[in-house]
Amino acid sequence: MQNQSNDGHYEVLWPRSPMQVQGKSLAKRLDTLNGKIIVQLWDYLFKGDQVFDALEEGLKVKFPGVTFIHWSVFGNTHGADERQILADLPKRLKELKADAVISGMGC
Amino acid sequence: MLRASAVCEEAGVPSSSLVSQGFLKLAAASSIGLGLPSMPVALVPGHPGAQSPTMLRHNILEVTTAEVIKNLMQASGTGQTVSEPQAQDIVFQGGFDAVNQLFLEKEWSDGLPIVPPTRAKVEAFLRYTDRKPDEVLGVLLPDNRAATIWSIAVNGVMAGCRPEYMPILVALVQAMADPAYGVEHSGNTPGGETLIILNGPIVQQLGFNYRENVLRDGFQPNTSVGRFWRLYLRNVAGFLLHKNDKATFGNTWRVVAAENEEVLRAIGWSPTSVEMGFQASDNTVTIARYTGGNLIASVSGSTPEEIMPIIADAVIRQHSWQITFTVGGAYGTLRPLILLSPILAEAIAQGGWSKQAVKQYLFEHVRIPARKFEYMLRVWAEKPIWNLTEEYQAGRIPKVFCESDDPDRLVPLVTCVDDFMIAVTGDPLRTNAYIFAHNGRLGYPVAASIDLPANWNF
Repeated sequence: MQNQSNDGHYEVLWPRSPMQVQGKSLAKRLDTLNGKIIVQLWDYLFKGDQVFDALEEGLKVKFPGVTFIHWSVFGNTHGADERQILADLPKRLKELKADAVISGMGC
Repeated sequence: MLRASAVCEEAGVPSSSLVSQGFLKLAAASSIGLGLPSMPVALVPGHPGAQSPTMLRHNILEVTTAEVIKNLMQASGTGQTVSEPQAQDIVFQGGFDAVNQLFLEKEWSDGLPIVPPTRAKVEAFLRYTDRKPDEVLGVLLPDNRAATIWSIAVNGVMAGCRPEYMPILVALVQAMADPAYGVEHSGNTPGGETLIILNGPIVQQLGFNYRENVLRDGFQPNTSVGRFWRLYLRNVAGFLLHKNDKATFGNTWRVVAAENEEVLRAIGWSPTSVEMGFQASDNTVTIARYTGGNLIASVSGSTPEEIMPIIADAVIRQHSWQITFTVGGAYGTLRPLILLSPILAEAIAQGGWSKQAVKQYLFEHVRIPARKFEYMLRVWAEKPIWNLTEEYQAGRIPKVFCESDDPDRLVPLVTCVDDFMIAVTGDPLRTNAYIFAHNGRLGYPVAASIDLPANWNF
């Protein structure tokens, strides 16, 4: 009668590594989009130019006072300059008095 | 796109990220690594690439606009710390099958059985590095985890490596953490896979294959080190399938390609390590991501003049949308790799050609009509604004792309001669080549020195 396992016994270690990011809070949301400046950020992919055109149209119907800063002002957020563009972003948003951002395209 | 949104949120500016249906899971997984698990996303139904302008406009107006408004006015959330084990914790005790079942369930395994990472085995690996176990080589996106010596050893054990491979594994993670490589892009849709090129005396010392079957699994060093790369991407960088890894098709991990340095020395060509800035006697790893490739079988010819047109034509045929890494999505980051079998390299060298002469030939002959180049850029990027003349006039690309106004003028696939990479490996007596299509800046070639421990004795 063979009833003994050859499966061994192992005390195994965790194969991952500690995450280095602390939980952050989202920015405070807006009461209205009227009178606000919305920045468009684009990775120059997947018809984002058409998407932003349609979004502008839709948002202006509900909030006629909203204005936009065109995606071309910032350049490709997923191109060769991605790191620099993102590093400069907080300063640029402040300079442009941006109230909100729409970032695309995750496809 | 999400990284940009995270920067905005941290700067106090509310964001809405536009995400297509197929990327919702990826967005959720990536948001955790960015410290914002509640990152607001607005759905873009379906995929824009498959929609007419009318259909896309309809979807944006009917679905996405309302979600953007909600994201900017109502979303709220605080990042919660995920409860996880400590770095050196024992997470389970049990038999081989139970350990492997757990590792599958926790997504810590690649689907094959792993070698259980016990403390004794990990410590055996640590004896092959002079670095401290808690030393951090970098922080890897998308999970934002620390790339520690300890975690390298654990994953090396799991992959089936031998302890003496540890110096190579450390060098690989150093290269992975190099910002120029761009590990954060490893889950992108083209699904490129990294090829590791190994150079130096360590190839012989540890018995890496560099002859027949060089890209085939079956040789322990080549195979297990290749597997380690993918396990580390999974467990420490955080590229889990169907989550942060969104490869449309993907590739299985590639085994290590060691170069045939005996032949290189004999014909007077530099190994890849020297082209990456090291000495010929150095042990190095060179990594880059490739979206695919193809064998060029039975390259006929006894002279460079007969052989090279065949190679150049094959390089052209392996590249299409990747030219966006030469112009557009990035500039000058496309680095095609050509593997030459030793007998091919010898025949070219016997004709008096240096490796540099081969690259020069490729630069002059791997060319396509400007009209086709622009067409491929427009179609792939789905943004009809690319024009090579405008790019040249803006100073973003060299004059070689704009020698005339003729739309049928031939333009190169890459920006400069040294963008081509050539390695010599494979069956020494077979006249074959292999062309790898490169993933550009989303896996740019970088190299790292392999630092041997003081007690190295091979």
